[in-house]
Amino acid sequence: MSLLEAKALTREFDDGRVKALRGVDFSVEEGEFIAITGPSGCGKSTLLQMLGALDRPTSGTLLYRGQSLPDHPNPASYRAHEIGFIFQGFHLLPTLTASENVQIPMFETDRSVSERKKRSVELLKLVGLDHRLDHFPSKLSGGERQRVAIARSLANGPSVVLADEPTGNLDSENAHLVLDLIIRLQQEQGRTLVMVTHDPSIAERASRTLHMKDGRIVSDKSAASS
Amino acid sequence: MTFFSVVVRGLWRRPVRTSLTLAGISIGISAVVALVGMSRGFEKSWQAGLKARGTDLVVSNVVGGLTPKPFDASVRDRIASLPHISATCNLLVQVTSIEDSNLMILSAREWGSFCWSNLELVSGRMPNDATEKAVVLGQTAAEVLKKKVGDPIQIETSELTVVGIVRGGAVVEDGSVILSLALLQEILSSQNQINVIDIRATPSTTEQQLRELSQQIQQLVPQVRAVTLSEHLSHNEGFRMIRAMSWATSLLAVLVGVLGVMNTMLMTVFERTHEISVLLALGWTRGRIIRMILYESALLGLLGGILGVTIGAVGVHLLAGTSAVRGLLQPDLSVSLLGVSALIAVAVGILSGLYPAWRSSRLAPSLALHGG
Repeated sequence: MSLLEAKALTREFDDGRVKALRGVDFSVEEGEFIAITGPSGCGKSTLLQMLGALDRPTSGTLLYRGQSLPDHPNPASYRAHEIGFIFQGFHLLPTLTASENVQIPMFETDRSVSERKKRSVELLKLVGLDHRLDHFPSKLSGGERQRVAIARSLANGPSVVLADEPTGNLDSENAHLVLDLIIRLQQEQGRTLVMVTHDPSIAERASRTLHMKDGRIVSDKSAASS
Repeated sequence: MTFFSVVVRGLWRRPVRTSLTLAGISIGISAVVALVGMSRGFEKSWQAGLKARGTDLVVSNVVGGLTPKPFDASVRDRIASLPHISATCNLLVQVTSIEDSNLMILSAREWGSFCWSNLELVSGRMPNDATEKAVVLGQTAAEVLKKKVGDPIQIETSELTVVGIVRGGAVVEDGSVILSLALLQEILSSQNQINVIDIRATPSTTEQQLRELSQQIQQLVPQVRAVTLSEHLSHNEGFRMIRAMSWATSLLAVLVGVLGVMNTMLMTVFERTHEISVLLALGWTRGRIIRMILYESALLGLLGGILGVTIGAVGVHLLAGTSAVRGLLQPDLSVSLLGVSALIAVAVGILSGLYPAWRSSRLAPSLALHGG
């Protein structure tokens, strides 16, 4: 059974005048690193939203471990426990420290206050920021902020990490460091990673690349076959 | 980090705006404390005055303002023989301006009655008889009017002499200008006019017997009302008006507080639209988002309440010391009033947060992927 499976997935806006997804079929296997590429407006982010249960498809089937995702009884719980998000703009809460930001997804678990704190320290150590635990985002560099966001995405040990242009707001040096970190963690932990990117050099490092155009997947290449 | 820490940090992200909102709520709550505390204080002080004179029943006209409308003194003769009445005292009480003081209690009492017995001389002497052109001043009244024994005092068109300073055992007694009933009636050319009869019951009289006595008096003289001390104030039109005005003004102030908090919380939600979407994307439930906003607004209310109660209590104390109201009342800053005021503030916070919380819960988590 695939981890995620989409069949004839569509998403329309404005009463069908805008068709973001026009029948997408693909599956994601456990432990894969999939890059989704394509020009702006091709439906990459919309697809990511569907996978993360942030939005519902207009039609088609989307399964998570064989269960219909749009019919999930508790989408918030699915997002909290099965999905880790990394955003292009980091999206850290400015009023919380690095450690506190990492603890945010853990509020939906039964971890105690001290367990949450301990876990955040472990995760920030994993991304090399154990010396920045009590720093607020405004005191961190762009690269450091994204590393905090990476730690946050792993807070509840998700099955899938969904990354939306995670290096898009970084200079080339930091982009390289952050990408290396994401890929290293994905490989070490055997976690599934789905990353939206414009950058062909990033896509080259994925185990599989889906190229989208006009709301459809126009090519699906694995690293071995490319 | 606890959930409460997230709430507190959210509130202090805009310290100036939060502080201004707190100021808004606290002004509303301090108005509640001040106005209601003063009006209740006025009532309680008046009651304490009656108690100090040893009064069990008060007979007064059914109509009137802050002080009841005068009626004929012969009413006393019609009721004096009723059972359980041990003594009576005719009075003509006015709240009026005397010399430089705008609000002063002028209490004319039947000479030789029990209404004089609670007065304890601090200096000087009591009037020699019912017709001597003399007054005694309660201690506070003497301070407010800046009078001492031997000074002249202008009452209406007559100049009288202050012959004594007394202690009366209650704030309103200490704040009164006291003279003989016959003298004031002569000054006002209103012979036989009184507006209050204080009745002292025999020592063994029960509450039930007092109620029966009050009914008998009203049957005998339909134009008057005979009530116990607590009933006296609740039936008084002037007090009722003061009470209604103080609550109405307080409610207006509270309403302004509600609008202020709601505005702040709505702005908070609008400003944090993207942040709330991110929290939803990270797995926070809509219920937790609603709780976060409601806790923020409730906390805003609670802090505003504490601040408002403090400002109100200090303000009332300062106000009670001014010459305008000194001697008229002892402010009532009971724990119940302060507690109710703080509770009103929290309720204001929660009420104001309901709509913003609902708005925040309607946000789409997909907005998290749209910039921000």
